[in-house]
Amino acid sequence: MARIVAVHSFRGGTGKSNTTANLASLLACAGCRVGVVDTDIQSPGIHVLFDLDPKQSPYALNDYLWGKCDIERAAYDVTAAVGPSIPGRLFLIPSSIRTGDIARVIHYGYDVNLLKEGCQRLIRELPLDYLLIDTHPGLNEETLLSIAIADILLIILRPDNQDYQGTAVTVEVSRHLEVPRMYLIVNKTPAGFSREALAAKVAATYGCEVAGVLPHSDEMMALASSGIFTMRYPDHPISLELRRIVDKIRE
Amino acid sequence: MDLRRIILLGCGWGAVYGILNGLSNVFLLPSAPLISLRPQIALPMAVGILCHPLAGFLSGFTGNIVGDGFSGFGLWKYWNWHLANGFMGLIPGLIRYGGIARIGTVRDFGVMEMAIVLASGLSVALAAILDALFLHMMEFPSSLTGWILPAFLTDAVNGFVLVPAILIMARHIVITLEMRVILLITVLLVVAVLATAGAITWSVWGDVASHAAMIKNFYVAGIVSVFLVVVGFMASLSFVRKITDPLGRITKAAESVEGGNYDLGRLDGVSGRQDELGLLSRVLQKMAQKVREREEHLQHQVQELQIKIDRDRQAREVAEIVETDYFQQLKKKAKEIRNA
Repeated sequence: MARIVAVHSFRGGTGKSNTTANLASLLACAGCRVGVVDTDIQSPGIHVLFDLDPKQSPYALNDYLWGKCDIERAAYDVTAAVGPSIPGRLFLIPSSIRTGDIARVIHYGYDVNLLKEGCQRLIRELPLDYLLIDTHPGLNEETLLSIAIADILLIILRPDNQDYQGTAVTVEVSRHLEVPRMYLIVNKTPAGFSREALAAKVAATYGCEVAGVLPHSDEMMALASSGIFTMRYPDHPISLELRRIVDKIRE
Repeated sequence: MDLRRIILLGCGWGAVYGILNGLSNVFLLPSAPLISLRPQIALPMAVGILCHPLAGFLSGFTGNIVGDGFSGFGLWKYWNWHLANGFMGLIPGLIRYGGIARIGTVRDFGVMEMAIVLASGLSVALAAILDALFLHMMEFPSSLTGWILPAFLTDAVNGFVLVPAILIMARHIVITLEMRVILLITVLLVVAVLATAGAITWSVWGDVASHAAMIKNFYVAGIVSVFLVVVGFMASLSFVRKITDPLGRITKAAESVEGGNYDLGRLDGVSGRQDELGLLSRVLQKMAQKVREREEHLQHQVQELQIKIDRDRQAREVAEIVETDYFQQLKKKAKEIRNA
């Protein structure tokens, strides 16, 4: 059974795209066939992590949503960007970075039902074991749809007052949508915080299991958005914690 | 170690020791017709340290019987020397009862080397006393230069140099920093003293008037050598400990910091030194203090970490979303997809 994993955060800048890319890469390393859909149409970015040149990828998710092509035409095999001899496969469905396309989506919107059908078609046609959806921050229609069709929802937050309230709303709304499995991931934790203490506190506050506490890392910042961190630093505490999250997803 | 194993090891190594004795009785010291250069004396000493004092005794005792047998001296004629060889194996082995399981510090090493010199002295004295009491084969004082001194000098020097070499090969000596230093100093000391004594003896060998003077010259050189090695060794022990002891304490303190103990009060003695070690110690203490302060600060922060959520506002915002028509449709649709 293929699983849809939605990765969400209430605010931007939580490291959502980066976490999604790393989780997808780790799943591919574990031998899974993985798809990543960048539904953050208003501010796309994950293609940079997989080194996908927009010139080499003429179709994007936008083209599918406007009926210009089938969604699998917009799926690009980026397994090579993860590393050599990866046992699984990784496909990326990028969002268009053309400013005209972005403006058109913001202005006219799109039929979110198409997104659901597209995801189902990707799982069937490629075929996939896991489909990861990198969502747009906040709670708009397409985000809610992503959450609604997800088998597993990962909500990322930082230990920061700006994130607490919105995350609480997201968790509650997701409960209304009866997402089968929901986990919190605390990202960019300052050094010195005890992992266990923080996880326990967050879990108790939100009444939701914490899948991982990722420390803030200067190495990750330095790598910025070029390349997949877990592949470059496989033994880094962040990579170990991400692997634990992947184990949780695969349970 | 059980007795059977001790006896087996003792007799087994005794056989090896005996064969080596038989072979080396060919090479005798001038004026010491029955006592050879015998580097193999290190063997029962090492057996005593590595296996058990009793195994050391047995290997020395049986080995000397075998050696005398080979050389045609008669198996039991010089039984006092069998006993003496046994004690040479036994005494160094006793250091294990002083809490020295493996040799890893300068102190352990010093105790072991002194035990070897002591074993040589006591054993030879025992052989001489037994001879005076029962055998009457040696005449005093000529036996002093004919038997006693040659045996003591060669056994002490051979054991002093060769036992550590065997123990290093058997990995019974742990090569720590301070062991490296003391081993280096010991080798330099022994080489320097023996080379000097040997060169002087050699240079005057043919020029000395009488045979007796030659022998006297030889043994004076031998006694002075052993004396210099022992005194120099003791002095080196104390110097090396002055350097390596604080270093060991600093290392242990750094380890304890890694384990989360930041109280480095026990480094106070080292921090008072005016040299590099004192500086290192003071820096470590200051660093540990800073790490502790930061750790406590962060621990405090986590305890203080308050996740404040306005539950009324949350309920209002959730309601705003879930009460929309879109959401209700979506909820229904999600249910359909999941049930499909």
